[in-house]
Amino acid sequence: MVSTVVHAGFAVLLAAGLLDDRFDRRALALLLVVVVVPEADTFLGLFMPGAHRTVGHTLVIPGVAALLLYYDTRVRERSVVRDRLSARWIAVAWAALFAHVFAHVALDWVHLDGVNYLWPLRDQFLRLDGAVLFSTADGFVQTFVDLRIDPATGARTVDAGPTGTTETVHVNNPVEPRDPDEATEEPVNRIFPVANAGWRLHLVGTGLFVLAARRLQSRGPRDGGE
Amino acid sequence: MAPTLVTAAFGALLAAALLGAAFDRRSVAVVVAAAVLPDLDAVASLVVPGATNALLHAVWLPVAAGVVLYWDTERRGVSRLRERAGWRGVRTAWVALAAFLVAGVGPDLLGGAGVNLLYPLHDAYYLVDGGLLFSTRDGVVQTFVTVGAQGPGILPFEALGTTESYAIPTFANPDGRPGLSLGAERELHLVRTGWQLVVVAAAAALLTVRFRPARSGRTAGSEADADGERSVAGDGDEPRVVG
Repeated sequence: MVSTVVHAGFAVLLAAGLLDDRFDRRALALLLVVVVVPEADTFLGLFMPGAHRTVGHTLVIPGVAALLLYYDTRVRERSVVRDRLSARWIAVAWAALFAHVFAHVALDWVHLDGVNYLWPLRDQFLRLDGAVLFSTADGFVQTFVDLRIDPATGARTVDAGPTGTTETVHVNNPVEPRDPDEATEEPVNRIFPVANAGWRLHLVGTGLFVLAARRLQSRGPRDGGE
Repeated sequence: MAPTLVTAAFGALLAAALLGAAFDRRSVAVVVAAAVLPDLDAVASLVVPGATNALLHAVWLPVAAGVVLYWDTERRGVSRLRERAGWRGVRTAWVALAAFLVAGVGPDLLGGAGVNLLYPLHDAYYLVDGGLLFSTRDGVVQTFVTVGAQGPGILPFEALGTTESYAIPTFANPDGRPGLSLGAERELHLVRTGWQLVVVAAAAALLTVRFRPARSGRTAGSEADADGERSVAGDGDEPRVVG
């Protein structure tokens, strides 16, 4: 996995941007729980092959959660959530969902074998990888999704980077440091990454910087600047 | 260097996270401009040899700006900036400075093309890249900071070379050396890799959410009837308390 610390750093940056002055300690605590809980699918991996990056990393769960939250708070006559939670906490819930999708699922999507994005509707790991550039020789080029049209049959094939299914994909993690299907004599080495590339250290550092800067900032325009 | 689009996205995210009550279109534009500003040294490299990731990426300009800003807003009896631009101006200036460093220089230094941090006093491109992990076999392993590394650097990071030996190709300057090379093939990277696409998408989505028209409040006249009491209850978009 992209380390949980990296997810947390980016999640803090996003949640602080969404919540603004509603981002307090309790909101931060909830956010960190939302960042950590999906990683519990590493333990499920002991019982279910390929559970990591599947159960906690599908887009179906946040999608359903967002639909339910929207339906309950906006469409229904009387909202169960609004009866129990203040508007502030509904905003926090939306921000936590946003952070889960962008800081957790999306960052794992671009890493190793990607995520099983539509599980359980569909069992397929996808990995997002590529670049977008403008070249004076080739014009606009994007290599994230490979769209091909067979000139003979006119059939379209879309290649968005499939890497396999729960049967074939195992993403190493501290609970299961190697693929259980591979028999090996080597002693187990569990690796707990913090940041395994410069850009991940940057995301961690940016999250910490945002927390520190918000503590140092004055809360509002003291001298009535408006 | 990290694509300018990614730098701008980081700047926008920082602006949303740190501007607070000063958040509006104009202040976000200022902060994003500050984040993108260091990338302009690629243009300077057409004249100054090796200016890319050096001239505006070095620490001296932001350090000087920080000292001036601190002196003006905290140490002086009457702050010139606060008199002219008010609380908003001061907050925007600080966040712009942060964006210059964290969004403008940061991605280049940490796993990017490297930054000539002490240019022109000491000429060496530094790159902070590697790993930090805990392994049950080897304990804590970190390779970001390297003490006593080979190369021209005096800071404890990997040194890539000097302005003489290390050229960074950019869209403005495809060979990284002075002089216009008009015939050369140029590549403008918008997104170099997957995680950068995630940052850009997140920033776009976040700005859309923050700038969405308010559902309650001023437009109540037309919408309140249809929306009933829900719009009165609001969803956390209550007007900010100022002062």
